[in-house]
Amino acid sequence: MSEPRFAVGDRVRTSTVDPPHHTRLPRYARGQVGEVVEVQGTWPLADDRAQGFADPRVEPVYTVRFPAADLWGPPGGHWVQVELWESYLEVAT
Amino acid sequence: MSRVNDVGGQSGFGPILVAEDEPPFHADWEARVYALNVAMLRQGVYDLDQFRDAIERMPPAEYLAASYYERWLHAVETLTTGHGPAGHE
Repeated sequence: MSEPRFAVGDRVRTSTVDPPHHTRLPRYARGQVGEVVEVQGTWPLADDRAQGFADPRVEPVYTVRFPAADLWGPPGGHWVQVELWESYLEVAT
Repeated sequence: MSRVNDVGGQSGFGPILVAEDEPPFHADWEARVYALNVAMLRQGVYDLDQFRDAIERMPPAEYLAASYYERWLHAVETLTTGHGPAGHE
């Protein structure tokens, strides 16, 4: 278990890495800047569980929202929310 | 990994059709596959992430040609036999 590194309102950038295994960071949300809108508590990392690890990492999960226009270009006056584990995220500068 | 299932935001797949009063299953075997998978998950034979991973590792042509519950069956067979689909009709 770990304390959440991010809080509601924080701007985060998603990983650009496409790992060679199952992950819950969809391709369209990779390398994007979004805003944390909810902290969901801690959950076993899907990437580790999918590989059958006996002791998967347990991390905070965040609901992060992205402007749809950032992901797919205009038009797009709405937001897309994705639930993301902490290791998918870094501070957006 | 960006596998064949990861199509969010891609165009060209056409609209998602939502049928009124669509039944949860279109054939008895689909209900059996559903029940079998729930039983495997509850027994801890594998977990939901391993299940999703098994579906994502389907060969792309096979994945795209398969129905929803055919993909489930593929994953159940892969995870319970270690060899993938074996002799089903």
